[in-house]
Amino acid sequence: MKAKEIINELQDYYLLAVRGLVGTVRRPFYFRDTIEQMDYAGAGSFFIIVLVALFIGMALSLQLSAEFGRLGLRMYTGKAVGITVIREIGPVMAALVFTGRVGAGMASELGSMVLGHQVDSLRVFGVDPVKKLVTPRLISSIIMLPVLTIIGDALSVLGAYYIVVYVSNQSGYVYWKSIRDVLNAENIIAGSVKPFIFGFLIASISCYNGLMTRGGAAGLRQATTNAVVLSIISIIISDFALTRILLYILGFSV
Amino acid sequence: MIIFDHVSFSYGNRSVLKDLSFSITDNERVAILGGSGEGKTTILKLIMGLLRPDSGYIMVDGEDITIKTESELRDVRMKFSIVFQEGALFDSLNVRENVAFCLREYAKYSEEELDRRVRELLSVVGVEQALDLMPDELSGGMHRRVAIARSLAAFDPVMFLYDEPTSGLDPVNADTICRLIIELSSANKGFIIVTHKIYDAMRVAGRFMFIKGGIVVFDGSREMLEKATVPEIQIFMSELRGTN
Repeated sequence: MKAKEIINELQDYYLLAVRGLVGTVRRPFYFRDTIEQMDYAGAGSFFIIVLVALFIGMALSLQLSAEFGRLGLRMYTGKAVGITVIREIGPVMAALVFTGRVGAGMASELGSMVLGHQVDSLRVFGVDPVKKLVTPRLISSIIMLPVLTIIGDALSVLGAYYIVVYVSNQSGYVYWKSIRDVLNAENIIAGSVKPFIFGFLIASISCYNGLMTRGGAAGLRQATTNAVVLSIISIIISDFALTRILLYILGFSV
Repeated sequence: MIIFDHVSFSYGNRSVLKDLSFSITDNERVAILGGSGEGKTTILKLIMGLLRPDSGYIMVDGEDITIKTESELRDVRMKFSIVFQEGALFDSLNVRENVAFCLREYAKYSEEELDRRVRELLSVVGVEQALDLMPDELSGGMHRRVAIARSLAAFDPVMFLYDEPTSGLDPVNADTICRLIIELSSANKGFIIVTHKIYDAMRVAGRFMFIKGGIVVFDGSREMLEKATVPEIQIFMSELRGTN
């Protein structure tokens, strides 16, 4: 792809994202579509987030417990799990699961609407496709991903508790005290800012790729793949950038 | 009146229309013929302002629509009633909601009035029994008829645009759609039908345009079409002779 095409695509993406956000404060508002999208993105993703978060928490505490056991630092397992899950793994894990389920769904749904001339039909009927299709998806992702992240964090901590107490035979009291210690304002802010940004990135990138679908079934496959791959890349890169910025703002020395 | 003045259009690097010029009056019954990928659907989208040409002008009732904004194009689009290829019904809505969609956007009907209007429109196209079905439960013919009903919903168009309205349909359903197209244009309203089915085009249209390589290689009446010497048109006409 030529540099000019990349710049054009970035410009189109930027315009779509801005128009999608502007749609949140300008009439008409599509409440019903927004609620439907929140149901699809939030309630629909609940079970998979619960499952993934639970097992990630258990796997993480197994690894940490084993390593800390060698160093005689097993009592720090809870603290390490808490910090890792709340600040880093929880938001990223939820965002990646969300991308696979919701982002791919958005891109393929909008793509098939483009190919079936349904988006053109909306324009013919005087309906702005960005307000009708993109804005509700942006709102739903920006609201539901943080909610899912909090649920995921809680489940990861619970999964880790099971391993720490029943497999590693450590004190449950010490574990919960460690978790309570890491639940301070700095860590909560560091972990809760990210899902809002990730939600916006996933929805805007997926909607953009869906609306740019061209060329039948192969084009739809390409659009969905691009949506997932670009969302994942943007999550990982923005996670690094956000971590760096948040650590600086919150006064942590690196 | 629609005027294309030296219009060129391309999808990326693929040039589709090259310096295309023609004019169509409101009450004409025009069939645009041509092979797949020759830009027939693109012409309809350009008329509706859904695409913008790379160069040239498109005039609708004396106004250049290529310089209009999306909100200004709303008035232009209300002059036409378009039925997209395959119907383009919203697949998350049932037939009732599909037809009511436009009415909800444009008119402030009560739910009772809305229901009555939807039933009226569906009875015009003969599919009132499909009121509560979802689009994927409809047959191909019913799908197109519901799409026609939806296109009639809110506007009083001066002209109808049909994109491959009979493609993929069996002869009986294709015949029903052709009758409907003729009926709807009976009040001195014209239409443009884009198709590669010469038999259906011959049934409904009075003027024929043939697109090849992005330009109009033929523009004339039925009699002229039958005598045309363009090889591609003769291939199309051989299908008709086979039918007869």
